[in-house]
Amino acid sequence: MRGLRWLIVPALVIPIGLLFLSGFGRDPSEIPSPLIGRPAPEWTQATLDGGTLSTEDLAGRPYVVNFWASWCGPCVDEHPVLASASTDHGDELAVVGVLYQDTTADATAWLVEHGDAGYPNLLDGDGALAIDYGVTGPPESYFVDAGGIVRAKQFGPLTDESMAQHLAEIGVGE
Amino acid sequence: MKGWLPPVAIGLAVGVVVLVAVTSFAGADAPTPIERIEVLSRELRCPDCQGLSVAESPTRTAQAIRGQIADLVADGASDDAIRAYFVTRYGEWILLGPTLPLAWLLPFAVILAAGIGLGTWLVARRPPPPEPPVPTSEALRRVNDEVEAMDA
Amino acid sequence: MIPTIGHAAIVVGLALTVYAAVAFVVGARGGDGRLLVSARRAVIGTFACAAIGSAAMMASLLTHDFSVRYVAENNATTTPPFISAISLWAALEGSILFWTLLATGWASLVLWWNRDRHPALMPWVGATLASVNAFFFAVMTWPGNPFVRTTPVAAEGIGPNALLQNHPFMALHPPMLYLGYTGLAVPFAFGVAALVTGRLDEAWLRIVRRWTLIPWTFLSLGIVAGAWWSYEVLGWGGYWAWDPVENAALLPWLTATAFIHSSMVAERRSSLKAWTAALVIATFVLTLVGTFLTRSGILASVHSFTESGIGPWFLAAILLALGIALSLLVWRLPQVTGGGRPSGLLSRESAFLFNNVLFLGLTFAVLFGTLLPLIAVSTSGATISVGRVWFDRVTVPIVIALLFLMGIGPALPWGQASWRTIRERFTVPLLAAAIISAGAFVLGIRDPGPLGILALAVFVGAIMIDEVVRGARSRARARGENGATATWRLTTRNRRRYGGYAVHLGILVMAVAIAVSSGLATDRTVTLAAGESATIAGYRITNERVVVEPLSNDARVIETRAELTYEGSQSGSLATAQRDYPSSATPIATPAVRTSLAEDLYVTLLAADPATGSVTLHIFVNPLVVWIWIGGAIVGLGAVFAIWPERRVRTLAVAERRAVPVPTTPEGA
Repeated sequence: MRGLRWLIVPALVIPIGLLFLSGFGRDPSEIPSPLIGRPAPEWTQATLDGGTLSTEDLAGRPYVVNFWASWCGPCVDEHPVLASASTDHGDELAVVGVLYQDTTADATAWLVEHGDAGYPNLLDGDGALAIDYGVTGPPESYFVDAGGIVRAKQFGPLTDESMAQHLAEIGVGE
Repeated sequence: MKGWLPPVAIGLAVGVVVLVAVTSFAGADAPTPIERIEVLSRELRCPDCQGLSVAESPTRTAQAIRGQIADLVADGASDDAIRAYFVTRYGEWILLGPTLPLAWLLPFAVILAAGIGLGTWLVARRPPPPEPPVPTSEALRRVNDEVEAMDA
Repeated sequence: MIPTIGHAAIVVGLALTVYAAVAFVVGARGGDGRLLVSARRAVIGTFACAAIGSAAMMASLLTHDFSVRYVAENNATTTPPFISAISLWAALEGSILFWTLLATGWASLVLWWNRDRHPALMPWVGATLASVNAFFFAVMTWPGNPFVRTTPVAAEGIGPNALLQNHPFMALHPPMLYLGYTGLAVPFAFGVAALVTGRLDEAWLRIVRRWTLIPWTFLSLGIVAGAWWSYEVLGWGGYWAWDPVENAALLPWLTATAFIHSSMVAERRSSLKAWTAALVIATFVLTLVGTFLTRSGILASVHSFTESGIGPWFLAAILLALGIALSLLVWRLPQVTGGGRPSGLLSRESAFLFNNVLFLGLTFAVLFGTLLPLIAVSTSGATISVGRVWFDRVTVPIVIALLFLMGIGPALPWGQASWRTIRERFTVPLLAAAIISAGAFVLGIRDPGPLGILALAVFVGAIMIDEVVRGARSRARARGENGATATWRLTTRNRRRYGGYAVHLGILVMAVAIAVSSGLATDRTVTLAAGESATIAGYRITNERVVVEPLSNDARVIETRAELTYEGSQSGSLATAQRDYPSSATPIATPAVRTSLAEDLYVTLLAADPATGSVTLHIFVNPLVVWIWIGGAIVGLGAVFAIWPERRVRTLAVAERRAVPVPTTPEGA
């Protein structure tokens, strides 16, 4: 009976230790998307070059929706990854960029500086598209398969590895 | 202290409380659209800030969400529907207060338990003082004998 | 050269503090006085090392030495000298260096001040403090080295964080806060020492309370300064968002306040010793936990320092400190429990004890709310947020109950109160509260929140005034002094009690100001073309022009400024801006605040179009905000008044040290 009081020490120290340990290695600002496994939002939006694009035009093809901005540093790093994905997979995959809280002037200048890969960039002036996808800040990318279901979300800049992995998840091979 | 003062003080205090309670409940009409937008904006988290609500945040995303809330309110959606609209897109994370009732109750439950425990401890009777030893009949007889011997 | 000296100083400091810790323990057990003296000198040496390290870092910042990575990341050639100097604590590694400087300072001060006193306790106090400081020196030697070099050396640095550049409080808030945090290691050390030696008595209680009150004062001022700073700088119109870093400062403050109150019961009753020791341990562990939460990256926060692998080190320190201290307490538990039971339900003692229940309940609530996202994601994988909505609703009722106790506690006698006492003390305050809130109601304030706080404030304030008047009157009558002299002598001869009342008064002022400023604030978002005006709450704001130009004291920062004029209960001109810092991706809004005793006019620039001169503004009118800061100042002054030694005690201390046999009477601490 007398020794029982010593249980207080592990009873307090162990749960605290386990709780804090579990927090390591996880990025607390990375929010999992509730869209995964559900149909992607439908939209019709104006593009940077003056045209219009809608999800109907993309029907039957897997596509990537990439939210970026000219003021976003990591977006510069992931731009080549997206550019090569667009050229490598041609008609098999559609890459769509979306401006996040940006002006057309700044975005156009940025593309001139970093190379326009030729895929369309949607304007999202009122921010409604970012809300529909649940974007918390650029860069974020959403991977949609040919059936229109969201299969993956990339939080932060894409790398060649993560791009290949997510593309596999939406059925774009090799 | 005049004897009537305490009852007057208590009576007046109770009266004020009742008055305020009645007027605030009676006067509470259904919230106006602007009030609804304000309340909902305080409950939704701004996605690209650190913990601020959409009502407080200066970012454009926050303003966009406030605009969406206003549109939804104008379309006649209920408060729950509006919350669900954003939860479908961002997840539970977008709500600034957890929905789990346990999360709300736990702190109060802990305080209540501790308070009751403390109160019980304070009020508990002290252990009764030990009974003086009851003399056995043997001892009584001896005392009697000795007293008689002293008297003699 | 200078960074090398700095780094060397830190390594030497580590060696010295480890030596001190060992020497203190060996000297204590062996009774070797000379070893103890050398240990004390070693601790003072560690302070010198930390000072040299800090000076080296400051020199590197002021000379823009970009070979040091910390300087390259937090400084630029255009950074003004004042900002460079205070960048010592701007980011992770520097802040740990600053922390160590203050911690070794406290350790040196405590050990030197008590060099001829409490000979049984001090070696263990020294050992504990030296061990704690060893941890910080170790962090600076390995994972968090502030003097890490970068090659190649950049020509220009990134510059300080934008938010840390535009307000002088950057120089005030962290030092105050850190003085509080580091100082709270001292009562912890005394607690450990008392548990090790088994001397948990009145003398211990008195010394621990004094050494808690001083850092407590700094912590209180630091928290208020932090709120004021974020109000003036962040632009969302508020001063407290329940962000993890804010909660991290609040948690040890709550347990330290609980300790200050329960120690007064423990002093009288020689019971609750185990409880007071537990509070002292909890306070220190919470300072470590708070530091850990904001530096480890496991919680997202406004204030998150960059991750750098120091998280696991801090976790180890927390678990070690908690484990060892708790084991000591459990070991001594049979010897420190017992003692008298406080009398009755309605007494000052029980008010203090219920106050402890509420403070600890509040601590639990804030800790629970801060950690709940982590708990949720670890147990069920769900990502949730716990924000103001939850914190406000949970904490406000508890705080109101605490304010009520704060009011009635001082008016209750130490023993069980009779109904007659209760009638005598509380009738008039209750009447005053009822009358004034009825009056406010008639005048148009209908909202139950502010009305309730007003009533509570009048109730508590009336009781306080009554206390002082009663005491002064009876003293005046007994000694034939006039009112003013009696009041002065009463308060200065009883600093602890009346200083405490002053602190309560400050808290009351803050509570009312917070309730009114959050409940009765108004705001508007409006877009104004050039020359256009808008009105809000009695003010008329006019957009005069938009100016875009570099900052005068840092040409790399481009400022887009909306120049406005305003008329109303205050009139004049103000400029609210957005600043583009090279270190930040998005522009930072710098709000403009015009403060009067009645209200603040607060304007944030949301968007500006220099071409058309139109601006989008978020305008707030926040009533009584300045009273929050004034209340904070009153709390600080009250605490200083309470701690200030009374003449008799000072004479006693001198006599003690001259080893003159003087009968020691238990004076107020």
